[in-house]
Amino acid sequence: MMQNKFIDKKNFIDFSLGSLNLSLDLDKNIFLKKLNFIKNINNEIFSIRVENKLIPRNKYKIEKVFKKTDVHFTVISIDFSQNFENDFFKGRISFVQKKKNIIDFIFQLSARWHKNIPKKVLLKFPFLINLHKNKNFLKPGDIFDGKKRINKGVWNLHEYPPSIISDNLGNQCLGFEFYDQFPWQANYNLGISEAISNENFEKLETEVQLTRELTDIILMKIYTSSQGREKIFGLWKENTREKYDLRKYHDSKNRWIKKNYLQFFMFAYGEEAFDYKKMKFKIIQIIKEGKKFGGYDSILFWHQYPRLGLDESNQWQLYKYLPKYYKTIKKIVDICHSHKIKFFIPFKPWDIRSNESLDSHAKSLERFIKATSIDGFFLDTMSSLPDSFLKIQKKFPSFEFCSEGTPREQRQIESLTSSWDQIGDIRRNFKVEINSNFFRFLFPEHPLNLVSRWSVGSDKDSLIKRAAFNGMGMVIWQDIFGCWLPFSIEQKKNIKSLKSILKKYHKYFYGDNSIPLINTLSKKIICNEFSNSHGKQKIYSIYNFGSNKIKGRILKLPLEVKEFKQIYGKSANVKIEKKTNNIYLLANIQVGDVILINIKFDI
Amino acid sequence: MKSFENKKIFIESNEYTYRVEHLTLEGTCSTDHGPRNVKIKNLLVDKYPVTNQQYSFFLKKTGYQPRDSQRFLEHKPNKKIFNLPVVFVSQNDAIAYAKWVGGRLPTDEEWQYIAAGPKYLDWPWGNKFNPLLCNHDGNKLESVNAFRKGESWCGCVDMSGNCWEWTAGIHHDGNHQFALLRGGSYFYAHDHWHVGGGARKNSYHWKLQILNEGMNRAATLGFRCVYDAE
Repeated sequence: MMQNKFIDKKNFIDFSLGSLNLSLDLDKNIFLKKLNFIKNINNEIFSIRVENKLIPRNKYKIEKVFKKTDVHFTVISIDFSQNFENDFFKGRISFVQKKKNIIDFIFQLSARWHKNIPKKVLLKFPFLINLHKNKNFLKPGDIFDGKKRINKGVWNLHEYPPSIISDNLGNQCLGFEFYDQFPWQANYNLGISEAISNENFEKLETEVQLTRELTDIILMKIYTSSQGREKIFGLWKENTREKYDLRKYHDSKNRWIKKNYLQFFMFAYGEEAFDYKKMKFKIIQIIKEGKKFGGYDSILFWHQYPRLGLDESNQWQLYKYLPKYYKTIKKIVDICHSHKIKFFIPFKPWDIRSNESLDSHAKSLERFIKATSIDGFFLDTMSSLPDSFLKIQKKFPSFEFCSEGTPREQRQIESLTSSWDQIGDIRRNFKVEINSNFFRFLFPEHPLNLVSRWSVGSDKDSLIKRAAFNGMGMVIWQDIFGCWLPFSIEQKKNIKSLKSILKKYHKYFYGDNSIPLINTLSKKIICNEFSNSHGKQKIYSIYNFGSNKIKGRILKLPLEVKEFKQIYGKSANVKIEKKTNNIYLLANIQVGDVILINIKFDI
Repeated sequence: MKSFENKKIFIESNEYTYRVEHLTLEGTCSTDHGPRNVKIKNLLVDKYPVTNQQYSFFLKKTGYQPRDSQRFLEHKPNKKIFNLPVVFVSQNDAIAYAKWVGGRLPTDEEWQYIAAGPKYLDWPWGNKFNPLLCNHDGNKLESVNAFRKGESWCGCVDMSGNCWEWTAGIHHDGNHQFALLRGGSYFYAHDHWHVGGGARKNSYHWKLQILNEGMNRAATLGFRCVYDAE
């Protein structure tokens, strides 16, 4: 172990870990001076308040600097200590590199409390404030619109895409990820993701519980790239996915769910689904009507809610009350199957009675599958798959589950292989935004069906555009529990067009090499890139979110173009321009339009 | 079980301001919920919901058989439960009985007036909820005369709790058919996604979306009759 030999006379320390170069000032507290191309950060890494008293900077003492490099990793750490009143603090700041272009920054702290009685400790991280203030800082899902940072990306899972700072050219980039898979399990990164989301690092004060042993307070992954922001996303994606067991998605027996582009929500109590004169379900008409949308891939039958609770009948008993008991469902399922449509019924976890268990529901489901040959179970209000149901797939390997909420945590993402991407809030003035769903790009093998049940009019238009922009399927839900909110003829045509291209270009839309929000040449458009690992062919989804028509160069393309074609949206007069060594995509995109362009590269 | 007379109570014609809230969580209830002025004609109304005994007598006398008998009287009425309200009857079953006795089902407006009266009471017995005056969150149906202290201003009993009651008419909104139920029931399901059960206020109705008769019948759903009067 080597101590302090890296510190120069001015108490500066400069070092490199692979592609990360940084400079720290250890004179009073620990100041981050430089980080690669980011100069003059010049801010403390941390400050500590104990029972509302700020520990002065001059109280800190550098105890030791440790550096080690071998073939597997490089580490540099700085140990410090401080006495404050009757308490004694020790801390360590470390940088660890095990993978190329990924460096862990770790900040740890411990306390020896006077009379062993812990005190309230609040931490601030001033260096994050300065990073955040950098003019080229983009929090996850942000883009520059020419004047300011605006959010055009969403995610809703316990993986946090990195914030990114780039140089002025956009080539050199640093990504900062604050790992936060389960926020209650430890001190680390508490409140940081929230602070990023709300642009609130100045206000961020994290309360931590300190003991004699060093506890992790910040675990920040730093991603480095000299090839722009897209590379940072790729590194994060690769690193994040590495720990997941995604075998279930690649089980050939379950592959049908990946092509479940359009799911029809069949609300039983209405003339869309039920013929009151003949007293039977209009399955043939439903299938026929579905062709206007491009054809349903699955139907979700819905008759329990809002009827459950009128008496003690549970969710399974309600099937017995349908005409001819299970036979009604069986007949509908058979008709659906003859049209290559899969059939789902829902599960209502909120209806589980005190004398029922998930195992008993699994048994009921098993009986139902045997009696009716249904293909899937829709998990109402859920975003996880109970183990009791997981066992069903051992008996019925092609049986699928689809949840109302997108799974958020690792175990759920691994076991639940399909879900809705549901947006909308009935209680607010909800506007359907066209933005990029990061989950779609992180786990492209997980099919999502977009739905916003209460959206009407222009919001329904936006919903279709949002589905096109993210290359995802939809839920066709027109009868919202007795409120009739149909799609227009034009909207049906647009969905039909979308479905046909999702089907035709499936391997690119669901390819493993897709990137959200790639760099564009216009400040008022956003673009997703869909491709598989071969990279010979890509689909670009482009949205003009500005208030003027966009005309001219849209994208700089990576390779020579062999063929190109606009495959979705109003005609945008797409062209390719080659100038010196650069190749550009040109288009005229109307305000609010989403277009999709398929390009074959000359590789 | 001792039987009793389900006597008729006279309601004098009146005008009142109808205003109702519906219990459905999502979706709409496409009726005019008021406030609006409604006119109630002279009426006679059953003091109690129609009992198993009354309905059994009707069956015996008429040989009534529903076109679709799925769940019809699934509870199998017998002498031991003669004084309980008849349930597992669809609106059609209720109308058939009402016609036979020379009456009809009350409209949603009439039902509310019978329960709330000219003083616009929140509950049949007054303005404060009292679970001791009705079968609220009980384990089972009770005799229709078990909560006589909970009678309404005109003397009708069992209007809140015990069993839901059909009102007249099937409402069409262009895409759906539904009926309006009144009064709530003994059954009070545990989750907010369930039908809001238990005894319900005079000013609440629940929209039962109509499907086949098997779905239209329930263990908590009965009715009472009204009769047009001079």
